Amino acid sequence: MRIRILKPGLMSTIQDLGRYQFISQAVPVSGAMDRLSARMANKALDNRDNAAVIEFTYADAAFIAETDLLISYAGDGSILTSGEHQLPAGRPLFIPSGTIIKLTNTLSGSRIYLAVAGGWDVPEVLGSKSTYLAAGFGGLDGRALQRGDILKNEQRLTDSTKRILKSLKGDKVNYPRWSIAGQSFLPADRKTIRVVRGNEFDWFDGLSITIFLSTSYVIGRQSNRMGYHLEGANLARLKKGELLSSAVVPGTIQVTGSGNMVLLMADCQTTGGYPRIAQVAAVDMPLCAQLKPGDSFFFKEISRHEAEMLYIEREQQLQQLTIAVQSKFL
Amino acid sequence: MPEGIFKIYCLSEMAVTVEFGQRIAPNLLHAVNSLNALLYGQPFPGFHTTVPAYSTLTVFYDPVLVMKSDLPGADCFEKVSGYLNNLSPRKKTAKPITGDTVTIPVCYGGVFGPDLVEVADLHQISTTEVIKLHSAVTYEVYMIGFIPGFAYLGGMDERLSTPRKVTPRKSVPAGAVGLAGLQTGVYPLESPGGWQIIGQTPLRLFDLNRREPSLLKPGDTVIFKAIDIKEFNQLTTG
Repeated sequence: MRIRILKPGLMSTIQDLGRYQFISQAVPVSGAMDRLSARMANKALDNRDNAAVIEFTYADAAFIAETDLLISYAGDGSILTSGEHQLPAGRPLFIPSGTIIKLTNTLSGSRIYLAVAGGWDVPEVLGSKSTYLAAGFGGLDGRALQRGDILKNEQRLTDSTKRILKSLKGDKVNYPRWSIAGQSFLPADRKTIRVVRGNEFDWFDGLSITIFLSTSYVIGRQSNRMGYHLEGANLARLKKGELLSSAVVPGTIQVTGSGNMVLLMADCQTTGGYPRIAQVAAVDMPLCAQLKPGDSFFFKEISRHEAEMLYIEREQQLQQLTIAVQSKFL
Repeated sequence: MPEGIFKIYCLSEMAVTVEFGQRIAPNLLHAVNSLNALLYGQPFPGFHTTVPAYSTLTVFYDPVLVMKSDLPGADCFEKVSGYLNNLSPRKKTAKPITGDTVTIPVCYGGVFGPDLVEVADLHQISTTEVIKLHSAVTYEVYMIGFIPGFAYLGGMDERLSTPRKVTPRKSVPAGAVGLAGLQTGVYPLESPGGWQIIGQTPLRLFDLNRREPSLLKPGDTVIFKAIDIKEFNQLTTG
């Protein structure tokens, strides 16, 4: 299976679930910003969760099927169309050779993930296929997709992927009636981000903490795959000391010297020296990944234990989903 | 704080940080590296990897595998903390970790060190003396951070303490050797940077084609050796 990019969109890169092996050497984790959607797109095809997908940001992109394709997509920010026909998310989509697929922006969200049967075939670099733009490696030649790029799938398909393909194959666009309900994994309230206290939570005064947990914050313009600048009330520090650099991860909320907050995202540095007021619950990182500059939201505190249990629970649900997809094509 | 006493805090659902103190000190660096070696020697079920820093070791794991394990505790944080507490170097089972000694050849000044003259003028010494001060001491790698393969080095002569450039450069080449405050370091990749650049090494500090892409690791000893442009070119092409 093969596609050619006709219009790359603002920012489109190949990503998987991240590069963890070399964080001790300061290689960022990278990977899909919205890992839940990347996994959903893969699950709809019975791919491995970690298969490489294309992350389209604010879409406005297009590609042509140079062969018959079995693809799926998940996420927010755009819909796939073929001519006048809207293609549903969260389902395997059979696309005959020669079809032009467009990604049209929607008002909400910012990132969608395009999976292909078997995953997109790019070389593994340091144990991952994710693109890390700042150092120019991973994905397709370490860069964002460009017009004219050709992408192929990996030839090895699972038995259920083969069965899905066989059941949908024909001379026109085709897909099943079922879909995997990605949205059901997310809370109805998309504007509340749950956080756990960071190690330096006590460095801030009581009023600042109240403000942090009760007023809205807006995603700033200077926001990208490395991190989001948050606009809103500045936070005052009770403790003035310096912090020695230590490990930080995507989801860490740092407070800079001027009291501004930065939410670290997929391509963030592996270490940081700013006090950490909070850590976004892992289950709410997909919500953060879909926020765009100008979006406002609130933080809500939950306990460390609750965040952990939510994570374990979601992993169990995702496990069941894989089994459900496979059972449809036994 | 005596060696081996630490506190553990939660960083995320999949990582805890072991903190030995809040200062830069040889015994804390040693404690971090000892625990790291100990943990790699006896990993727990679900253990992934670690990030050593000045006085902390952050331990990453797969929460699903940790929850399935027999480790005592109601959640991953409790299970992993309990395990790490029992691994404590208090037991003195860990051998002292000795790193490698790495010599980094540097061509100082000229096109490779555009700020060498400025640094010398600032300290009112000759450029030769700057080079001598910079290459006379041995440095220790405290941690790797900032960008892939970037080593924070300790041990620089205080007489070389130099403020950062007022306006950072848009691009500093890979291999550039710089000064910032009491720190010195080598840029592993081409990147923007505000350090005073006094020279350049032909060595690759970060190379995707090596099994361990980063040339340096915490605990290594680093020596800078002055070379001329002829040697630089030989090392680059060789």
